[in-house]
Amino acid sequence: MKKLLTVCVLCLAMLTFFNGCKKEVQTEPEPQPVVEKVEEPAPQPEQPKLTEEEIFMQKTLDQINSEGHLKMIHFDFDKYFIREDMKPILQKNSEWLLNHQSVEIVVEGHCDERGTVEYNMALGEKRAEAAMKYLESLGVPSERMRIISYGKNRPLVKGVDEDSHFMNRRGEFKVVKK
Amino acid sequence: MKLIRPIILLLLMLSLSINAQQEIRIRISDGVAMIPVALPGVTFTSQSTVRNESVRAEIEKTLWDDLDFSRVFRMIPREHYKYIREFDPGNIVFPDWESIQANILVSCQVEMPEEHRIVMSFRVYDVRNGGRFIFGRNFGGKREFARLIAHRAADEMMKQFGETPLYTSKIVFVSNRDGNEEIYMMDYDGGRQRRITINTWMDVLPSWSRDHEKILFTTYRNNNPDLVLFHLYTGKTDFLSTRRANYSADWAPDGNRIVYTSTKSGNAELYVRDMDTGKERRLTFNRVIDTTPNWSPSGREIVFTSARTGTPQIYIMDAEGTNVRRLTTEGNYHDSPEWSPDGTRILFVSRIENRFDIYTYNVRSNSITKLTENAGRNENPSWSPDGRHIVFTSNRGGSYHIYVMDYDGSNLKRLTSRGENKMPKWQKFTHPRFDN
Repeated sequence: MKKLLTVCVLCLAMLTFFNGCKKEVQTEPEPQPVVEKVEEPAPQPEQPKLTEEEIFMQKTLDQINSEGHLKMIHFDFDKYFIREDMKPILQKNSEWLLNHQSVEIVVEGHCDERGTVEYNMALGEKRAEAAMKYLESLGVPSERMRIISYGKNRPLVKGVDEDSHFMNRRGEFKVVKK
Repeated sequence: MKLIRPIILLLLMLSLSINAQQEIRIRISDGVAMIPVALPGVTFTSQSTVRNESVRAEIEKTLWDDLDFSRVFRMIPREHYKYIREFDPGNIVFPDWESIQANILVSCQVEMPEEHRIVMSFRVYDVRNGGRFIFGRNFGGKREFARLIAHRAADEMMKQFGETPLYTSKIVFVSNRDGNEEIYMMDYDGGRQRRITINTWMDVLPSWSRDHEKILFTTYRNNNPDLVLFHLYTGKTDFLSTRRANYSADWAPDGNRIVYTSTKSGNAELYVRDMDTGKERRLTFNRVIDTTPNWSPSGREIVFTSARTGTPQIYIMDAEGTNVRRLTTEGNYHDSPEWSPDGTRILFVSRIENRFDIYTYNVRSNSITKLTENAGRNENPSWSPDGRHIVFTSNRGGSYHIYVMDYDGSNLKRLTSRGENKMPKWQKFTHPRFDN
């Protein structure tokens, strides 16, 4: 009898222990998925309300330009041809422009301070034109682009080292219509 | 013995200072010696009811600085005057002035009949010919125009000696002192600096109309470098050329037409525009950059920059666009040519080792003279109306400022102090008001 009693007590003890364990295991993870489940469905109904295009149209031109979809390119000293390492940037720019068919841009041509004011006006124009022509060759219609030369009047960085000069010899792409 | 050393040193220093003085005395201007001029202190006349010392001092200083700047007259230093009898405008002892080597004596008295009015009498005598009276004139005006009155007298003196007046001439330039690049104007000596355009966009590369009543410049008002004609007295703006980049306009010295650079054809080319009819004529036809045209004083030729051989070089062509000949043969970057008022020299900049310096090209001797050296970047030089001085931009002091120097690179002076200042253009035509 004593043996039976001890077995029963042990069984009970184990049962209560396992029950306790089960309870602890169950109670802990329960609140987490509940919170997650509440969060997840919330954005889902909002998404179909606004398309990506609609979100884009809500933004101002300044916002779009500051988001940096169109990356600037740089040029060699005194030159205006498109460097090989800049072509992938223009490729990406053209893809974005082809995905946003309503966008019109201004291509800005800039120079470093090592040219004259007058010659750089013409050189900046050549750089802007080279960048525009390249985008055109990638399928961006020319009607959506305009060029403007700032010569060396709008440097990006102040500095007299080669890195600063490189940064200033650039073509920038600004969204002016969406 | 110990006393001898300092005495020898003192003697050495004395002899050095005497030598230095002699060097200054033999300054020669274009092969012609400068005329020694004595200008005793400006005084009030006995009738003058008001005696404003600041007005007197301002006139005296302006007059002295003007004549000293000329490179025509050499001012005999004031300290020499104390060795002779004191100057008395009513009784001038000419042998005294001859004894301190003056050729010309200027006598200047000021009368202020009331607080806000100045009458200045200006008399010029030939000391060597027994004090012969050369000319005299009275100049008058409001008190705030004291400097202008002195400038007018100095201009009259230049005219009397057969020289081109320049003291009332103005310099137009670009400054960002008030935020963004705007057009400004100042007197030849940096006085009375004032803003011409007031807006939020960039205005650059100004130049004068022939009558000095209008300014040509490039404006980014419509987000494009457009060439405009701005009327100084009415504030009216005429848009002249608005397709692509339009800049570097130069008014013809002999008529109502301008020459300028435009990329409207898809490439930088030169155009002549009739300002009465608006009709244009294209001068250059090629696939390279042609830019920065500037008329010869006769209006028959145009000096300009072209990259037709691969690098920017200076060329001359006939005003019709024909007969192109190359001027610079050395170096690989030249620009900003400007023809001197007498037609004998052409100013330009050249880049060597990424640094711009100012040069003159002598049209008669085909020789080139370098005017700036080892002092930052020097750009956009422009002649004074008499061709003896050059205004230009330099960053020798750190940031860009406007400087003036003589045609031989001497007598450097900074004219601006606030913000960054660049692209100066000096009036190059004799003002119509001086013709009567």
